[in-house]
Parts: sequence; C-alpha cells; structure tokens
Amino acid sequence: MIRSLRLLYAQTRADFVWYFWRDGEMIFWSLAFPIFFLFVFSFAFGAGSQHGVSTFLVPGLIGAQVMSSGFWGVGAMLATFRDKKTLRRIYLTPLPAWIFFAGLVLYRMTLLVMQAALLVTVGALVFHVHVTGNPFAIGAILVLGAATFVSLGSVIGAVVRSTESANNIASVLTVPLAFVSDAYFPIDRFPGHVPGLLRLLPSTQFVDALRGVAMYGDPLAHYAMWILTLSLWTIAGTAVTARYFRWV
Amino acid sequence: MGESAIAVDELHKHFGNVRAVDGITFAVAPGTIFGLLGRNGAGKTTTLETCIGLQKPTSGSVRVLGLDPTKRRDFERLRRLVGVQLQATSLPEKAYVREILTLFAAYYGIVPNTQALATRVGLGEKLDRFVGKLSGGEQQRLALALALLHDPPILFLDEPSAGMDAFGRRVLWAEVDRLRVAGKTVVLTTHYIEEAERLCDEICIVQAGKIVARDTPAGLVAAHGGAARIGFVAHGFAPLPQLEGLGVWTQLGERWTLAVASEPGAALGAIVAAANAASVTIEQLDLRRPNLEDAFIAITGESLEDEDATSAA
Repeated sequence: MIRSLRLLYAQTRADFVWYFWRDGEMIFWSLAFPIFFLFVFSFAFGAGSQHGVSTFLVPGLIGAQVMSSGFWGVGAMLATFRDKKTLRRIYLTPLPAWIFFAGLVLYRMTLLVMQAALLVTVGALVFHVHVTGNPFAIGAILVLGAATFVSLGSVIGAVVRSTESANNIASVLTVPLAFVSDAYFPIDRFPGHVPGLLRLLPSTQFVDALRGVAMYGDPLAHYAMWILTLSLWTIAGTAVTARYFRWV
Repeated sequence: MGESAIAVDELHKHFGNVRAVDGITFAVAPGTIFGLLGRNGAGKTTTLETCIGLQKPTSGSVRVLGLDPTKRRDFERLRRLVGVQLQATSLPEKAYVREILTLFAAYYGIVPNTQALATRVGLGEKLDRFVGKLSGGEQQRLALALALLHDPPILFLDEPSAGMDAFGRRVLWAEVDRLRVAGKTVVLTTHYIEEAERLCDEICIVQAGKIVARDTPAGLVAAHGGAARIGFVAHGFAPLPQLEGLGVWTQLGERWTLAVASEPGAALGAIVAAANAASVTIEQLDLRRPNLEDAFIAITGESLEDEDATSAA
C-alpha cells in the first residue's frame, strides 16, 4: 500500500511537471487565460456593478475549468496518449492501471486547485468578490463535479481513436457548454422554457450548485436532487469508460 | 533444446479483410536470438505484438514462458518477464532522460543505476536532456533502455534499429551480443539484412503473413543463396574442357564469370593453373560468396532495398 501510494505520488508529480510545469503554453492557457476572462467579462458586462458580475463569474469560471479538466485534461489526453502509443508502452509495464489514471486525475486536480485559488484571490483583490460558503460543502461540490467531468471526459478517451477528433470533441463540448451552463453568462436571460431545459444539463447543475454553495451560502441539501443526478452521470461515464477503454 | 521460451501455433490475425498474419507457427528455444525478417507489412510486427498481448489472435495460440498473453492473469505475470522495445515509442517530451528511466524503473519496483543504464545504450551524456530534444535514433535507444531496465529473461525488439545512425546500430548490436552472452532470449523484427545476419541465431523469413523459410543465417544462405561466383578479366581466355565442368560460365566482353557448382577454392585453383599453362594473365579477380540477401531474394522473389524510402510503419 505504501509502495502504491509512493508510486502514485511519483506518477502525479511526473505528470504535473512534464505536462504543466515545464510547458509555458499550458501555464498560460490554464492560469492566465481564466483571469483574462474574468477581467474582460467583468468590465464588458459589469457596466457600473462589476461586483455582481464578478461574483457570478468567479464560480462560473471555476466550474468551466472543472469541465475542461475532464474533457481536455483527462479525455483528450487519454486519446492522445493512445494515438502516440504512449498508452501501450505503459500497459506493458506492471504499473497498476488505477495508479496511471489516478495520477493523471490528481495532476489535473492539483492544477484545478491552483486555478481556483488564483480566481478567488484575484476576484477578492480586484473585484471584491468574497466566498462566503462552507469550505467543506464547497470542497464536496468541487470533488463531485470533478468526478462527473473526469468520468464523462474519459468516455472521449475511451471511444475516440485519434488525437485530432478527441481535441475537436473536447473543444466542442467545453466552450459552448460553458456558455449554456450558467458559467460565463446567466442562462436566465434566455426566453421561456430554455433556462429550465438547460438546467437538465449536468454542467448547469454543477455550476449552479457550486455558485449557490460558495457564493450564497446555500446548504448542500438544497441541491440534493442535482447531487444525485451528477452522481448518476459519474457512474454512467465510468461504466462506459470501463467497458470501451482500450490501451492499444 | 528443452522447453521453448516462446511457442506460436497456427497464428492468424485478420484486420477486416486483411490477413496480416496468415498461419504462422514457430518455437524459440531459450537463449536464442530469433529474427523475423521481411518487408514492411509482411506481418512481423503483428506477430510480435500478439506475443506480448497487444493484439488478440483471430485464431491460433501464443505461449511465452508457458503463459498465454490473452489471459489477464498470465499477461500480468508476463509484463515482468519481458522487455519490449516498440516501434516509435512516444515518451513525454518535457521529461529528462533520467526521470523517464527512474519512473519506469519504479513501475517495476526498482531503483535504477541510471548512469550505468544510459551508458549501456550510449546515452551516458544525455541523462539531463529533454526526451523531446533527443534525435530519433537516441529516442530509440532510450526505448531500448526501458526494455532492459528490469533485466527480463525475454526481450522483444520491434525494428530496434529503425531510424538509428551507424553509432546507434553499433550500440544496439553490442547490446544484443551482451544479451546473447547473458543467455537471454531475444525476438527481433527487422528489414535490414545485415542486422539479421549479424545478430540472429535463427531467422524466419516472413512474407504476406506466412513464414516462407526458417533456418540459421548460414543454413538459409547454403540452401537458397545459390552459387559462389568467380569473376575475372583475361585476354584470350577460353574455358578449356577440363574447366567446363566447374559450373556455369558466362562471358561479358573479356570478363568471365563462373557460377561455381561446388567449393570455389578448388575451382579457383583449376582456373589459375589453366591460365598459367596457357600463359594468360588473369586480372581483376574477385570471388563473391552468396549472402543472406541472395537467399532472401531467391526465397521471396523480392528485394529489401529501398524499404526505408517507401515504408510506413
């Protein structure tokens, strides 16, 4: 067990250093870009009351990063690893599969914590956004969201064969989904039944629950139904991945 | 010979309508350097990948050290017992060579002597280089190091020298010699004649998914390489009756060529004696023994030349 944990640490650290820390482009896109978004959107939509807009955006941008971690960081990454034959090389070693997956996920979670901390800090210093929710409840929602989108993202990694299609699918899923999921833009501005329909999406449920718990101090119980549906998505995604994942 | 290290029996592997492997059977004795020689697309890589559990046979069976790579538990045991160098292994570009060696060793639960290992494959000076900054041949040698690091009894090397320069190839060949001395079993695929001839104790020539010949390199040459040829230029020379029985003569201008029926030494002696007796001077004498390439062409009706220019893995 100690040996496995040590190996998990070594794998996570290697993934973090190789794919993030030494990759300037990656650092820019994952850290600077969300902050850039926060500034642009706060000033663009905030006319006079940036405070409210930023309070909306900070959890929204964090939620979008959770989605992109799952779709890009895990899903498209797995497809790339397979396409480049890195997966099959690892498959031929005695590394337990769970350590390989857990390493990749933990690396992305570490990055996610950095992204969230940066957004919260800049939000507080520049836009006076204050996170008032219970930290444990926020943590629980974040972990559930991460589990949901890692599991849904890994379906891409399981089913899609080429790096290119995986990247296309990941971007098609991440960007428009963030726009219709209450992440960048309040979906209540859509007419009629549209907001209600959009709240059937796991992404909307996750972002809204995160925002409610973190910014408005809602108790977790308030989102019990969505916590259940997100858990079901997680189980479904994991089942499909387990069924269709191929190393070769 | 004893128990085989590897036994492949009536292996078939189809991809859609393509019969990549079409009934291959062979056994490899422990301690043998065993080569699969053939053009790209002949089925060598698919055969090798089936042996290590990367492909499932359409039919037929594979055993490596008695283990069945298609069975989960056997495969998990097998991973510790084989070292594999795949074609074009892509490793993280922003990793140092040292880190890759250390992490892969950790997968096997070992702490490697990275310096010794890197030196063994000619990367002793490159431990602190990014993998992405290595040349193609250096990356191949790093992949070789990953196959060696847990000191497995069986190694599978898929086109190990592809993309290597002369230095890389020398390093690889020296390593295979070391593995031979250490009593390891090695299966390698190649489309380089010299490599097969230089390294392998036994060679299977693979063509269109089938084994078309199997023997030692010398055995293949003896059986299929054809005659040795003696060639020379001599003014006013004519094969006398006593020379005619030596083999088949051909003449091109003043250059004579004899495809020798038996040992070339005796024929050479007879030719020189006859020329001396007739006071004819022999010039530009050469003797060409058949090699594995002649045998390969005779067996397959194809040449391996230009493979690199036209091939895709």
